Amino acid sequence: MTDEKEYLKIEREKEWRVELRNKIKNKERTDLLRVKMPEMDPMERIKYQDREVNQGLSVAQAQAEAVRCMDCVNPTCIEGCPVSINIPKFVKYIEKGEFLNAAKTLKETSALPAVCGRVCPQEKQCEQSCFYTQKLKKDAVAIGYLERFAADYERESGQISVPETAPKNGIKIAAIGSGPASLSFAGDMIKLGYDVTVFEALHEIGGVLKYGIPEFRLPNKIVDVELENLKKMGVKFETNFIVGKTASFDDLKAEGYQAFFVASGAGLPNFMNIPGENFNGILSSNEYLTRVNLMNAADNAFDTPVFKGKNVAVIGGGNTAMDSVRTAKRLGAERAMIVYRRSREEMPARIEEVKHAEEEGIEFMNLNNPIEYFADEKGHVNRMRLQRMELGEPDASGRRRPVTIEGSEYDIAVDLVIVAVGVSPNPLIKNALPDLKVSRWGTIDVEEGKMQSSIPELFAGGDIVRGGATVILAMGDGRKAAASMHEYLQQRVTSNEF
Amino acid sequence: MANLTTRFFGLELKSPVIAASSSMTGNLEQIKKIAKAGAGAVVLKSIFEEEIYHQLQEELSLRSEMHSDPEYLDYFDYVIKDETLKKYVQLVAAAKKTVDIPVIASINCISSGDWTLFAKKLEDAGADALELNLFVMPSDAGKSSECNEQFYFQTIKKVKEKVNIPVAIKISHYFSNLARISGELSETGIAGISLFNRFITPDIDIDTQKVVSTNVLSQANEYLLPLRWTGILSGQVKCDLAATTGIHSAETAIKFLLAGASAVQVASVLYTEGVEAITTMNKGIAEWMDKNNYQKIDDFKGSLSMANAGNAGAFERVQFMKYFGGKEF
Repeated sequence: MTDEKEYLKIEREKEWRVELRNKIKNKERTDLLRVKMPEMDPMERIKYQDREVNQGLSVAQAQAEAVRCMDCVNPTCIEGCPVSINIPKFVKYIEKGEFLNAAKTLKETSALPAVCGRVCPQEKQCEQSCFYTQKLKKDAVAIGYLERFAADYERESGQISVPETAPKNGIKIAAIGSGPASLSFAGDMIKLGYDVTVFEALHEIGGVLKYGIPEFRLPNKIVDVELENLKKMGVKFETNFIVGKTASFDDLKAEGYQAFFVASGAGLPNFMNIPGENFNGILSSNEYLTRVNLMNAADNAFDTPVFKGKNVAVIGGGNTAMDSVRTAKRLGAERAMIVYRRSREEMPARIEEVKHAEEEGIEFMNLNNPIEYFADEKGHVNRMRLQRMELGEPDASGRRRPVTIEGSEYDIAVDLVIVAVGVSPNPLIKNALPDLKVSRWGTIDVEEGKMQSSIPELFAGGDIVRGGATVILAMGDGRKAAASMHEYLQQRVTSNEF
Repeated sequence: MANLTTRFFGLELKSPVIAASSSMTGNLEQIKKIAKAGAGAVVLKSIFEEEIYHQLQEELSLRSEMHSDPEYLDYFDYVIKDETLKKYVQLVAAAKKTVDIPVIASINCISSGDWTLFAKKLEDAGADALELNLFVMPSDAGKSSECNEQFYFQTIKKVKEKVNIPVAIKISHYFSNLARISGELSETGIAGISLFNRFITPDIDIDTQKVVSTNVLSQANEYLLPLRWTGILSGQVKCDLAATTGIHSAETAIKFLLAGASAVQVASVLYTEGVEAITTMNKGIAEWMDKNNYQKIDDFKGSLSMANAGNAGAFERVQFMKYFGGKEF
């Protein structure tokens, strides 16, 4: 930690940073207002599944926003970043006009800057820890927008930098799953000289970034560029490969893999198990989004198109629910509804996503909860019974818990219901490794901070450990696991085990 | 030899002594022993709505320390409910396979939330009947008595809409007019009412100056409150009655049958004396019946209820006038 602080201090005292700080007084910087993200018109954007809502900052907007950053002595924003990006340094590079250096700075610790710039909940992470938020009670520096700007600028310039890697040490390691935790892990381990292979069960690399997040929020081509960069660094990817089925851990060990990072996510959708939930036309957000995002199911010409409802209810209040309901709207729903049992304030979705959904005409049915579904003679859902809720005492998470209002049930017409009430870990890894210590809910138990499981050569992170993790938190886990696995393997090297 | 056959839960039982819902009836080995000891039926350990809530709180605390995504925890109560229900369904099915007495599933609920609809799964698992332990302590000053009472009717209605097996209820005595509400409840189509569910009572430890729980197990003298109400309600309600709390001996069980109960539910005595207490009670009841020349339970059931005893005041009297009214201190 001291080393890191020392490093940040040295970087901050570099001549160019000092000059930049002295150029504009802090008072002038703090008087500036936060930039607004240009957005595509709501009525236009709902016609397209693959057009981004946020359009990105222009050079002038990005530089004006970067000026607001005061390059603090104690950059608390970094403490709010799970992958410890040197935020003031990259922001100041933008202010200076050295955008490629800004991108390079991001890549020092983040394998996916263009992704994080789009989907990270910065308002709960770096921007929440920003001096503006903490001390000045003003809008934070738009760190997320600037991160996206730097990453996009580099990509569009065609001068994509590839981070340096240490000489190869010949030690083979595997990452299981190709979502944000694995990619972050792979990025760090390849830099340290390891021979890294990422195994992915699906036909596409990217995990939740590809199957879970719609293109209007995160275009696949953006993810592909970041993946390409990892490939250039030497990371190998194996698709359609299920560890535990296609090959066992023992098979992989026999092939020379010395350690594993399990980040297989939480691919098992949860349901509410209420009557009628098995009717046709009721599906999980996982299935709905995966089919639309990865399998062209929005296109009727394909073999297995999704049913495009007119009255679509999405159950849940998180980002997955927002992604689903906005997708349904884009696929032609006349009435696209969020049905959520708490109030708007308690919704776990990002504020920006809720705002975008509202602009697009999504109907919010807060303080309502489904209790039963009904179907037509063909077994297709045509009606749902809702119960009105009120808020009771706060629970252990600090949020007020939903309480049913007795006798308040009523029915509404629906022809498509998407259940977005959370996911559970896939039991595949647990089943493949009987000695692996897992929680009652199937999440892998790891030593805090080290991400090491009960099997010494097996590390884990992301959803499979936390049950659910944001993209950036999963990436943070990947970085922690990489540092810890490196230490573990180097000890084995010292003991001449290889 | 006396015939101990009786009727409760809408079912014919070979004995009026029922093993009440307790941790003991959540274990298959114990259930086997209870059946072997001669119980008329076994009410399985309840699914506790409150327990599901407490488990959720634990998980929320743990996961917030791990900074899990709030989206993951937003509906975690459903995950806990699902797991609890799966285990319970397994218990019902296993108990049904193992014993030849009726197996009664039990839900202990404090609200008539959507989960009561899961009753169907308990029916599908093979439960012979369902007991709803409607566990309301009317301590919320913000709730009217009408609102508390509605909870009973709504829960019964919701559950009965979903299942065909008999549904009995276990209630508390906390009503402003217990006789009237019991009568109305008995007209909802329920198969029986058990009097009363037992709340763990608080006490104060003056040494530690803390509030503590006391009397986890019932005491033998606690039967008097349910006995009074069994006597009052017998004949007034349109369903069978069973009694519970403080029934530790054949003598007490007989008193309830005389007051009008069709059966008694026992739990604490199984902890203090073992499941053999059921055999002892059955034997004691049979001997008493033989001694008094009763062939079957119906021969004397309710003969000393308020309606039949010819002394209504004995059940209704609420003041100790005789003892204290004219006494000077």
